[in-house]
Amino acid sequence: MLSSFRLSMTWLHTWFGLVLGYVLMVCFFFGSLSVFDREIDRWAIPETRYDPQPMPSFDTLLLPIFRSIQPREQSYARAQQRVVGPLPPREQMVANDFGAYTTHRDPVLGMFATFDVPNRPKDASVDHVHAFGSVTIDPRSGALISNDKLKIGSGFFYPLHYSLHLYWKNLGYWIVGLAALMMLAALVTGAIMHRKIFREFFTFRPNKQTQRSALDLHNLTGVVALPFHFFFAFTGLVIFAGIYLPVGGTMFKAQSEAHEKLEEAESGLPHEPAGIAAPLASVDAMVVEAQRRWAARGMPGEVGFLGVTHAGDANGYVSVYRAGTDRVTLTGEGIHFRASTGELLRENPPASVIGGIDDWLTGLHLQHFRHWLLRWFYVLGGLAGCVCIATGFIFFVEKRKRQHAKAGGSGIRWVDAMATTTVTGMLIATATMLVANRLLPDQLPQRGDWEQRVFWLAWFLAFLHAGWRSAPVAQARISPAWREQCYALAALCVAAPTLNWVTTGDHPLKTIAEGYWPVAGLDLVLLLAAALAATAARRLRRNERSVPVASARARAAMETVNA
Amino acid sequence: MPESLLLVAACLCSLSGMAWLALTMKVHWQQVRGDVAGDVPGQRLLRGLGVAGLAGSLLLCLRADHPSMAVLVWVMTLAASALTVAFVLSFRPRWLVWLAPWARD
Repeated sequence: MLSSFRLSMTWLHTWFGLVLGYVLMVCFFFGSLSVFDREIDRWAIPETRYDPQPMPSFDTLLLPIFRSIQPREQSYARAQQRVVGPLPPREQMVANDFGAYTTHRDPVLGMFATFDVPNRPKDASVDHVHAFGSVTIDPRSGALISNDKLKIGSGFFYPLHYSLHLYWKNLGYWIVGLAALMMLAALVTGAIMHRKIFREFFTFRPNKQTQRSALDLHNLTGVVALPFHFFFAFTGLVIFAGIYLPVGGTMFKAQSEAHEKLEEAESGLPHEPAGIAAPLASVDAMVVEAQRRWAARGMPGEVGFLGVTHAGDANGYVSVYRAGTDRVTLTGEGIHFRASTGELLRENPPASVIGGIDDWLTGLHLQHFRHWLLRWFYVLGGLAGCVCIATGFIFFVEKRKRQHAKAGGSGIRWVDAMATTTVTGMLIATATMLVANRLLPDQLPQRGDWEQRVFWLAWFLAFLHAGWRSAPVAQARISPAWREQCYALAALCVAAPTLNWVTTGDHPLKTIAEGYWPVAGLDLVLLLAAALAATAARRLRRNERSVPVASARARAAMETVNA
Repeated sequence: MPESLLLVAACLCSLSGMAWLALTMKVHWQQVRGDVAGDVPGQRLLRGLGVAGLAGSLLLCLRADHPSMAVLVWVMTLAASALTVAFVLSFRPRWLVWLAPWARD
């Protein structure tokens, strides 16, 4: 019974791990990069390389900018498809809700505006249709930073790790959710399969056969970072629980609407506009009052989020949230004021026990806190996850390639090619994107779209290369694609910081001397990656040469045993 | 003590704690000694030191940060320390000798 139970767990771990491992690799790697997404943004948009800034004055700086925001073209077109009759012209639409958001790591300020569409929705079950607009500004001057400049960290790598950039019917979220669920299953089944969790807790034998060494590393990175793997897969699911289990809009729709009403009554914050125009009092004065109230509660802090709901309406209100830098939880201690008078409407009460746990779990994953050591530990945990998945692939291939070679099958060759694509190919795509970021003309229209095209094209080329070069795997040898892609990666990882130096004048010695870590850090990590990739390539070359000898020796040994 | 020093101390505590726990295991003790010896002398002492190291690390993390954050930092120091100890044992096992001087002879 135990044996068959263990075998069934092994089957589950092996096959789901293989199929969803390709997805999990993307989640773990780009999740790890997202820990430093703001820093990657600085590298990618050199004109934003200055210190993080506090929330600027709303009255003098932000308000005129909010009033000038227009809905984004795409959002406007999508809203048009969903309503009856033509929309008002884009430049005449007036925003109803404003929001500005910053963190202790942001030199730039993201500003968002929501536009109520007056037209009747085509779908009768929808109450309103909205259009959205957003701009990024330099908060010191109010100067706009072009939306053509892609924030590679927070605007591309970060959403890639949870959506795969597949937005059709939210498909990416569902694939990632399934992968996260299977990750949890893989952790449990892995723990059941692994007979010597404690005895081999510290074991890595690099000089054994590749199959053994890969399994050691797989177990080591899986077991020591087990709490990290578990909590990140789990909290990732918690964050998107509303997508995976949309009970509020389906099963419990009536209760959900009643709750909304109750919340509105309790909080005194109007859900709907009154339809009567009203002026906006000084928001800066409200910010001062909010900061005074936080300080009085013993938690002084900066403003993280500043929003106006129903702007210009008698029901309008201003919400001020604290930047959560010293806690894991994402509560924000919101304070709300009547927009027309500045009168205090509500201070958010402390979270309930369940709410507090939820805030802690999501805060743990979203990490708005100020804690550089923990950030680096998260990168370590994420990369340990990548190593765990990659060594899982290698073990899968190593275990089977001799049998497959004997049987003459080529399936293993494609598993190996896919593994190369997801490991070195993904790294190549990332580094190529950074290189493209420094090479594309600065004023190129839709520059960010070109960067994304380069990323996907590089990844696709890496896939073609891996498929083309993987034939030796079917003969139980190592695919030269691994080595060649390692060399390509090393070259790209040297090229990126070099181009950064040439195009911006910021070389590592300068940025380190100035203590400008966002750029110095990424440059150093790229150089370290180049060194590791070159070392890996050299070792692969040695192994490629020694393998035929080793397998001949193994064959000889086997013949001796058989005789 | 400033927060950063507390955290450095917490990392060192958990690193040595993990190394002591590894040394209680025969196979790693032999790696550190560089020969195939018998049982691990002072195994109970090593285990006690190991547990004390990890516990000390937790206390230092709690001194440095709010408890809800300190728990996360501590769990991650354990992972980082275990990985480091495993790699030291693979490539430079002799480095751990000074944690158990009686292994030297």
